[in-house]
Amino acid sequence: METKTNEEERVTTVEELEGSEIEYLSYGGEHHLPLIMRLVDEELSEPYSIFTYRYFVYLWPQLSFLAFHRGKCVGTVVCKMGEHRNTFRGYIAMLVVLKPYRGRGIATELVTRSIKVMMESGCEEVTLEAEVTNKGALALYGRLGFIRAKRLFRYYLNGVDAFRLKLLFPRPEFQSSLHMMADRNENHGQKDIIPPEERSLLEESF
Amino acid sequence: MAEKLKVPINPSISSGEQTVWADVSSLLQFTCKELRDGELIHGENFNLFAAMSALEIMDPKMDSGIVCRYYSVDEAIENGAAPVPLSMDRTVDVQCTIDIMDHLLACEATWHKGHSLAQTVFSCIYLLRPDITASHALLHSYCKVIRATCNAVVSVVSDARTHEEEDLFTMTYGLPLKGDGDEKCLSLLHAVEETISRQLRACKAPLSKKRAVEDIEPLQTNPDLEEGYCKALLCRIRFRKHFNHVLTSMKRAQGRGLELARKHIASCLSELECILKSLEFLMSNACGTCGDGIGDKTTASGCQPIGFDATLNCRLSAPTPPRAIKILSWKKAVEYFQKLLHDLDIICSYSLDPLLEGVLRFVVEFQKFKPDLVARAHLQLLLVQDGKLYGRDPIFAVISKAAALPEVSKNHDIQKNEVLVQLGQLVISLLKIICTNAAWQRRKLGKILQDWRVIYIQLELSFRKEFGEISSTSIDENLCMKISKHILVWVEEQTYWIASRFLVLGFELELYSPGEYCMVYWYIYVVCIKLAEKTHLKMLTSNETGKRKGKKKKDAVKDLAKDYQIPPIVLLLQCHIYLAEGLTMMLAALRNEHKVFPSAGQFNTEHERFIQHFELLQKASIPDHISYLSFKESTTHARLSTLVTHNCFKDAQKIAKELRNSFSHDPERMAELRRIEQVAEHNGVALNLISQLGTLDPSLKVYFEFIHHPYFATAVVKRS
Repeated sequence: METKTNEEERVTTVEELEGSEIEYLSYGGEHHLPLIMRLVDEELSEPYSIFTYRYFVYLWPQLSFLAFHRGKCVGTVVCKMGEHRNTFRGYIAMLVVLKPYRGRGIATELVTRSIKVMMESGCEEVTLEAEVTNKGALALYGRLGFIRAKRLFRYYLNGVDAFRLKLLFPRPEFQSSLHMMADRNENHGQKDIIPPEERSLLEESF
Repeated sequence: MAEKLKVPINPSISSGEQTVWADVSSLLQFTCKELRDGELIHGENFNLFAAMSALEIMDPKMDSGIVCRYYSVDEAIENGAAPVPLSMDRTVDVQCTIDIMDHLLACEATWHKGHSLAQTVFSCIYLLRPDITASHALLHSYCKVIRATCNAVVSVVSDARTHEEEDLFTMTYGLPLKGDGDEKCLSLLHAVEETISRQLRACKAPLSKKRAVEDIEPLQTNPDLEEGYCKALLCRIRFRKHFNHVLTSMKRAQGRGLELARKHIASCLSELECILKSLEFLMSNACGTCGDGIGDKTTASGCQPIGFDATLNCRLSAPTPPRAIKILSWKKAVEYFQKLLHDLDIICSYSLDPLLEGVLRFVVEFQKFKPDLVARAHLQLLLVQDGKLYGRDPIFAVISKAAALPEVSKNHDIQKNEVLVQLGQLVISLLKIICTNAAWQRRKLGKILQDWRVIYIQLELSFRKEFGEISSTSIDENLCMKISKHILVWVEEQTYWIASRFLVLGFELELYSPGEYCMVYWYIYVVCIKLAEKTHLKMLTSNETGKRKGKKKKDAVKDLAKDYQIPPIVLLLQCHIYLAEGLTMMLAALRNEHKVFPSAGQFNTEHERFIQHFELLQKASIPDHISYLSFKESTTHARLSTLVTHNCFKDAQKIAKELRNSFSHDPERMAELRRIEQVAEHNGVALNLISQLGTLDPSLKVYFEFIHHPYFATAVVKRS
């Protein structure tokens, strides 16, 4: 599906806001649905019926999040997860942040929250599609560890190609061999070798 | 709510898998009081696809019905949307006919570029109702040739069949693609062409001769415009005629029509030039005010054409809600056809190389021009016909030649070997795959790697079994050993060729981010080493066989000396190996010492990215014993200081220079050598610069660009 955010570009129409001014909420029920629909309708090109929205938020309410600034909904993420060819996989369907609020890490925060829930729920990987021209979204997902697994020729109805992006979570069976590497090369490439659970703890403490 | 009601199931009506038909009227009656706007009743199998296929009636973004002007084609015609003649004024009639021709060209190009036929070419009402133009010879014959051309193109693309894009392209939705008598379109068109040429001759004739030709009725009523309109029509008609000939000639079996096709391609291109030249005349004499400039107009005159309505067909379009599509401009359409004709000309000038290696190289070179679907479909059909190369060479013969099997094996029973038959199938599917678009091609190549790996093992087993039986009873043993050795080496070489193509295509498709370049170049490096090794081995084994043909002793000694020289093809691969190694180590050193492209993400590590990018190669053990650990081991100790003393870029540059003589007859390889030299030179300089300044200067920024080579990056050093 689609993503409309732009983490690279800074738009200065809204005065600098502190991170604390943005409030993040998990999908809380029918009253949130019109907010999500309005955002997606305004910012994304593909039309989705109300059933598409409900399909996601009813089945996986825990994977959808909304971002509010002074009571106004300025961003949202809608996802699903399930079995796909013998893999339990998460899927990011829609990610939108209103234009004046882009470039402030709101999209990163929204999508990070969803991915965390997916990881805790036992997903092995997360996928999504993004337009090849959407540099902002590609950079955002790249920083989170997504790779461009495939190019989908003329994926969107407007004729633009898409990338299938994929984030693979570490599998336990690989960890042991990595630790071996870490022991052997104590002084080199440490950063890659710290298991992600420990690393996220490290990063949060900074 | 739903579970309170029992729904009567009717087993007598057949239904799909795991579904039954049920009468839900009572359920609906009960719930319609309760249901609010936006709610729905659904079964358990209501999935994302069903949700996305649902339409909201009267939402203009989804309900294609509400944007239709007319309910049916007949209603449109009754309302005068497609009059015949187009005008009672014969000059206006000609002007409008030319607009239709131009807009149809734009529609056709838009269709070739991936939109549905229904929403492009068949948005023309005149095409939808072949009978209504019967009284208008010019428009009638033109519509016929358009239908015939579309039909021919659809059949080429659907015969080629491995294209993902084809889905939309070949969907003809019950459009009147084959009108009655469309096969006679060329003779009708020819008659019209004859008439107009006579009209042109008549208007150009000097006054003294006028009387002799007076019996010819002019094309239209304004004598000042006669010549211009005759010319504008003639080039448009002739273009269609030659284009039709191009398609039919290219279709002839075993490439027999290629030479003729080239002649028609040349004619098409020169008619397109004339069409472009008619722009000025048509614009200045456009009827009424048609806006200013040609811009994104779909006609040369700049006028809206009569008789088109894209919404008429929208109910016939794809299953998803159809969107309004943008038809290419007339200028872009002409450019598209010029490009298509050039691409077709490359195919037609191909020498039908009997050597598979040459075929593969030709296709790879051809793909560099980014040909569109129609050209690629033609190439594929030329390469593979009736399961033979060019419909001419049996696949076993092709493999024998490629693997340099001894002459006698041509008639050997070995070709009946089941596994070898399968190998033939793999070769055919490889040929088809490399003709598809880069995105699709890469995915398919990744998948068939496994097949090539498996067939290698099967061949090994099968040869061992088969020759084991023979060896005890026959003198064939030596020959059989040779055949099996040659084929196995060749299969391995082919497998590594596919792997390297798979990796390299990732650059063209922009699948790698700079942070991943290091591992990608490392993988290219290990695959290229194997490829060079197998290619070299193949050449050595084939030399051995070649020499046995009773040469004199003197020559044999000379050949021995020759054998010690590494063949130029292998040295060219060696250049690639050096470049890949140099880039891997430079990127690794930059990361180790300067923290360029750190690879930390919150959720995973470089290891997961490695697994994802090379999953298909790893699964097929290409190459054996290669893993993330080996990548880490070879890169963690990379230091700039050591790279400078052992500079791979210099080695690549040196070999590339020496190779110039060997490839002086081969312009494509000469160009590749130049690219190698450039990228090697620039990277060598950058490497020195970074190692001298790097530690002192934190403001130094290093990034990588593809300015000298399509997939070997050039390091660019700048102060930030």
